[in-house]
Amino acid sequence: MIKVENISKYYQLGKFGSGRLREDFKNWWDKSFITQPEKDRSANGIWALKDISFEVAAGEVLGIIGNNGAGKSTLLKIISRITAPSNGCIMGNGRVTSLLEIGTGFHGELTGRENIYLNGHILGMKKKEIRERFDEIVDFSGVEKFIDTPVKRYSSGMYTRLAFAVAAHMDPEILIVDEVLAVGDAEFQRKSLGKMKEVSSKQGKTILLVSHNMQALKNLCNRAIVLHKGELINMGDPEIVIENYLKKEKTYNIFQEFDNMELAPGNDAIRIKKVELKPEYLPGQEVIDIRTPLNVYFEFWNLDHTVGSLIAGVLLFNMAGECIFDVGSEGDTSLTGLIEGRCRIPGNFLNDGSYYISIAFVKDTTNRLFYFESCLSFDVEDYRKNTAWYGKWIGHVRPSFPVILRPKEI
Amino acid sequence: MQKQSEWEWKIESHTKWNKWGLKELWQYKDLINRFVRRDLIANYQQTVLGPFWIFLQPVLTTIVYWVIFSKIANISTDGVSPVLFYLPGIIIWSYFSDCLNGTMYTFLQNSALFNKIYFPRLIIPFSHIIVHSVRLLIQLLLFTGVYVFYLIVSETLKPNVYILLLPVLILITAGFSLGAGLIISVITARYRDLDYVLQFILRLFMFATPVVYPTSLVPEKYQFVFWLNPLTPVIETFRTAFFSNGTFHFGYLFLSIISVGILLFTGIVLFKKKELRIMDII
Repeated sequence: MIKVENISKYYQLGKFGSGRLREDFKNWWDKSFITQPEKDRSANGIWALKDISFEVAAGEVLGIIGNNGAGKSTLLKIISRITAPSNGCIMGNGRVTSLLEIGTGFHGELTGRENIYLNGHILGMKKKEIRERFDEIVDFSGVEKFIDTPVKRYSSGMYTRLAFAVAAHMDPEILIVDEVLAVGDAEFQRKSLGKMKEVSSKQGKTILLVSHNMQALKNLCNRAIVLHKGELINMGDPEIVIENYLKKEKTYNIFQEFDNMELAPGNDAIRIKKVELKPEYLPGQEVIDIRTPLNVYFEFWNLDHTVGSLIAGVLLFNMAGECIFDVGSEGDTSLTGLIEGRCRIPGNFLNDGSYYISIAFVKDTTNRLFYFESCLSFDVEDYRKNTAWYGKWIGHVRPSFPVILRPKEI
Repeated sequence: MQKQSEWEWKIESHTKWNKWGLKELWQYKDLINRFVRRDLIANYQQTVLGPFWIFLQPVLTTIVYWVIFSKIANISTDGVSPVLFYLPGIIIWSYFSDCLNGTMYTFLQNSALFNKIYFPRLIIPFSHIIVHSVRLLIQLLLFTGVYVFYLIVSETLKPNVYILLLPVLILITAGFSLGAGLIISVITARYRDLDYVLQFILRLFMFATPVVYPTSLVPEKYQFVFWLNPLTPVIETFRTAFFSNGTFHFGYLFLSIISVGILLFTGIVLFKKKELRIMDII
């Protein structure tokens, strides 16, 4: 049970250096001896949080959503007593444990065994509690063989597993988790998410969770709040809140039109008039998810009058810059003037993630006329029904052809 | 809905000066224990001589001082064998300076940890003091060994009842270094160049403390100022207790207890008040 009342956090920006002492002295002097109305503090600093109030009931799982710099981590730091709020107060009942990073306080020179105790104590466990769970922790981490080896000799995977194992076996009443789910491989994520689910549903712990994994948030949380530039802008049912957040926050670039041919992107051969991505939403749907078919539509002027066949290719890349596909039109020698092109990406084909599209115009299969790079970009959100698994689904594509099992006929 | 008074904990923008959280510190005693173990173990990992260094450090320093200050510079040791004379000063001084150096970087050295996890911050300086106290006790064993040897061979050496004050002397030294260390840790977090100045001052301070010379060498008119240094009565009382020829001033010893008490109080209040604020500037 936590009650957050009018929390604000102000961060001073600017000089950190030689002028410090003089500046501090001046500030102190001004404050102590020159009585003037308090200046607007935002002049040389920022408000990382502004007047945040909410409550979390015992046993509730609260998701905290927001872009980078929205103040999520600052909020968790204040609740974790790592930094103090500038205004307001937080009250609560129950032992708080925060996992803002996995493996905090591990010491390389010490053995796995020593580190389990050290880390457990740092996280607030008593000696007796650790001793009781020691075998369980070692078991969960899968590093039995190396338990008496200094952790500096561990592989990074072993290190993370051991650290998470300690964290997962704590017994707090309130758990604060910041993006811990984002690290490690898929297997590790599956394990950690499963543990979170277990902790929240079976043990009835209060959890505050920051994550960019919307699927996990939807599954784990009872309630979600959205922070935007330090302000609490939305709160409520996670499904609705997340849907709204995605709609508002994501800046897709799914439409570009150029009326003036001279200023349009392109060259003497090709000028772009319009590119557009048209999702085929299901009724009531407003966000592209993995089920949504997408239509790529583009118009261009072909100004090249030399003889040759024109091909337009649509290339899809993920945000890592890997090409997912490259499809081209059939060569056509008769196309001049304003031309339109379209390409339909079927639903249940792309995996969730961020993508961008480039369009290439090629003559005679080898001669590139113009390459309109990353002219469209969009995110595909995850969608799953009736599943217990909500870690990141791996793979570049996510087609839905069936895998069939049946008894073998003899 | 619960009433205001039923909240177990409360986080506010300002910490009250009298909230030290000592009860909470006690709840974390396992962690203190663990930090102490960590430092004692990790310090001697991959060293050839291991914990033997605890003995070796004062022994080597004593030899150096004996050669330089006694043989070459010819500074009096008040009739006590030089080895025996230097040991208490060296042990007490290195305890003080190790404790101070351990605590004065509390925020600078642990900022990564402090930025990620909560535990009472005082645990770090406290555990440093305990680590060095353990080493001090081991070094005192060394001293006892050397002392017993001299007691057998020499006839002039006489212990006396002031030996019982030894725990008080250790407490004064610990309190002095902790109090100063806490204050400095808060200031160096903000003004890092203070660090350089302090290391210099610390080196000078050693020579303002009767480590390598007896108090009797100090001119009469400076004696008063000299004895205001809380470490002076500590080392002198130590020597008096074991050699019966130092200078024992109960008044100055009492004064140093008072001044160390004030310093320690100021240090804890300042530390508690600033421990969260500092995280924004470090």
